[in-house]
Amino acid sequence: MSENPLIISNATKRFGFFTAVDDLNMTVPRGGIVGFLGPNGAGKSTSLRMALGVMNADKGSISLFGAPPNQTSLRRVGFLPEERGLYKKMTPRTTIAYFARLKGLSKRDAYARADELLETAGLRKFSKTKNSKLSKGMAQKVQILSTLAHKPDFLILDEPFSGLDPVNQQGLEDLIIAEHARGATILFSTHVMEHAERLCDSIIMMAGGKKVFDGSLQDAFDVLGRGARIGVRGDFDVGTALAAKGFAATEDDSDGDTHWWRVNLDQGRNAQDVLRSAIDAQVPIAGFMPDEARLRDVFVKLAGPQAAMAFQSNPAEEVAV
Amino acid sequence: MRNILLVFRRDYMSYVSAWGFWLGLAAMPLLILFGAFMGGWAASTTPVRYYAVIEDAPVFGPAIEDSFAREREEIEDALGEIAGDVGLDASAIEGATDNVSLPDFVRVEPPARTIDDLRPWLLGEREIDGPDGSKSLFAAIIVPADGGPIEYWSEEINVDGLTSRMNRISRNVARDQFLTSANVDPDLLDKADDAARKVEQKRVRTEAEEASAGNEVTFADQAPRFIALAICYFLWGVLFSTGQYLLMGTIEERGNKIFDTLLTSVRLPQLLAGKLLAVLAVTSTMMGVWSLLGTVFTTVGASQLPPEARQIMFDVIGAGLQPKIIIPTLFSFFFGYLIYGSIFMALGSLCDTVQEAQTLLSPLILILMMPMFMIMLAFNDPTSPIVSFVSWVPIFTPFLLILRMPNDPSIWLVISQIGLMAVTSFVILWLSTKVYRAGAVHGAGVSDATAWLKGLIPGAKKKASEETS
Repeated sequence: MSENPLIISNATKRFGFFTAVDDLNMTVPRGGIVGFLGPNGAGKSTSLRMALGVMNADKGSISLFGAPPNQTSLRRVGFLPEERGLYKKMTPRTTIAYFARLKGLSKRDAYARADELLETAGLRKFSKTKNSKLSKGMAQKVQILSTLAHKPDFLILDEPFSGLDPVNQQGLEDLIIAEHARGATILFSTHVMEHAERLCDSIIMMAGGKKVFDGSLQDAFDVLGRGARIGVRGDFDVGTALAAKGFAATEDDSDGDTHWWRVNLDQGRNAQDVLRSAIDAQVPIAGFMPDEARLRDVFVKLAGPQAAMAFQSNPAEEVAV
Repeated sequence: MRNILLVFRRDYMSYVSAWGFWLGLAAMPLLILFGAFMGGWAASTTPVRYYAVIEDAPVFGPAIEDSFAREREEIEDALGEIAGDVGLDASAIEGATDNVSLPDFVRVEPPARTIDDLRPWLLGEREIDGPDGSKSLFAAIIVPADGGPIEYWSEEINVDGLTSRMNRISRNVARDQFLTSANVDPDLLDKADDAARKVEQKRVRTEAEEASAGNEVTFADQAPRFIALAICYFLWGVLFSTGQYLLMGTIEERGNKIFDTLLTSVRLPQLLAGKLLAVLAVTSTMMGVWSLLGTVFTTVGASQLPPEARQIMFDVIGAGLQPKIIIPTLFSFFFGYLIYGSIFMALGSLCDTVQEAQTLLSPLILILMMPMFMIMLAFNDPTSPIVSFVSWVPIFTPFLLILRMPNDPSIWLVISQIGLMAVTSFVILWLSTKVYRAGAVHGAGVSDATAWLKGLIPGAKKKASEETS
């Protein structure tokens, strides 16, 4: 397997007058964990469904393992859709085996794999319970296991953390890492940036149907620019004091008597250099905070205030109780 | 193909493991048994009812009794004739008339002469002795001596059997009295009726055929027409019930939000094919079991019959199993199933709930009801121009082709109509796939379908777009 699992070129999808995805270009490199980020309604699910051939692009092309999505290429993909469900009358064991068989496994292998996965997930004793009797968390686990049953080369997970409690979210993160270690390429969409920060080596950001960023996590943080904040009491001019040390500092805001100055960091210099230089310049330091760039801030900067509002209107975490 | 089989197998097992399937399987034989025993059961459980006739001279009382006796005699004669035809001896029909659903009315002596005095017996406050023990009086018939209207008094006004009979008897009594006063023998009209010549129905055949089969119209000659009618109703019932299966199955799948997972594993046509085949197999399983039961009962029943009756039974079954009936039936069943099944499935893909499905189902049920009317029309006159014309309307073709087969239509007509059904099936299947895709993949719902339909109506399009905006 040497090709990139997914290449989307100039893909556009419209629903009536509404453009859900606008001229999207993206590539998922082999062996990567790619986060597909954006608020609800950004066009993530539509893009993923186009990538899988569930719906066709009005314009542009999709290449899944080097060809348009077809039965052969789809057999190498495990897909967890955003809207999830199970056949209520089936059991976890038969569900996992059924989807594994649809992906090409023999009956014997499919059931063996189902047993193995249920054992690993701690659901062995529920293997013959009807899906309708499972708790929501268990049902979601079964759905995820069904996605993994045929050991796919490429895992596409649409909002996989949605609806999971914190413990199960951590379990899913571990599972993604394990699948990646097995050799699978992973693309997952989320509107919760923290998962992407912990898991991804590259991210693609969407807003209003358009791609607003595509690159590594470090590239994303660099969008904001790295820096540090120095708090001083009184009217001390930090900008002049640090200019001699080669740093540009601008007054940011104030917090009572404390005035905060932001210092931008050039390539190769870090927050410790700023602190050292401030001490040397006899700056009356009342506080010091290295900037912790967050993907959310990156997104807001890239997508603008409208997209920021979209995030505000969506809860950061959807936790099932 | 493998994926079609996997979808087929999953859906089939899901249907046959449901209680509804087993209830449906048992329902048909139970209904037949229920229907078979219903008549006898109704007759045997009909209570004996007492009535009294208050009249000066015994005219109406004996006339009512005579009317019941004559009716019973006619039934016995008819049964005796049939028994003779099928080789049964007279003892076999003894008591058969007891199972015929004749209301059991017994005349008793009136306990009083006026309605005021009779009231306690009629209202059940008092009982009167009779051949079946003490009972209240069901009805009192008061015949005024002045020739005025006969009064029929009863508390149970909704029980028929005696009221309608009284009207007939009153006419007969009046007729007899009129003839007698005119010095004409009252039995003259009955004798005239008896003198009427019988009409024998004959069947025209070629001379060669007539030499071997004769020209009598036999059970076997008439059987295909009735068997075709039975098949039509059966087909209608099967299409309706399988449609329900497909509709509910698709709604459940949409509710389970499982389409996206499925569609990354199987192509949409494979998914639909698997689903349609599964329900077809469920129906075939039901029909197979019913056929097996029918064969067992027929074989056991036939062994108990005299040879003549057995022969008639086999002739009738043979007439229904002729290739000219069976082959078009199989085609009609298959294509009818595809046409109606695809529509039901497509509608299900647009609905999240059964309540939503009702909105779209109502017009479809009306369409499904239309063949019912045409079936009766075609049964009475399969060669009428309207039936010939309507048989080319695809929603009617599966039913009307079967009904026309006993009349030996030309082979080209049969082939053309099978071809029409095939083309229609594929067109509807193609359209249904589009609707299914819109519903399952794009999440289109009932409101979208309604808006689309409104858009087809001139003038309504503007209003629909205003509503949408």
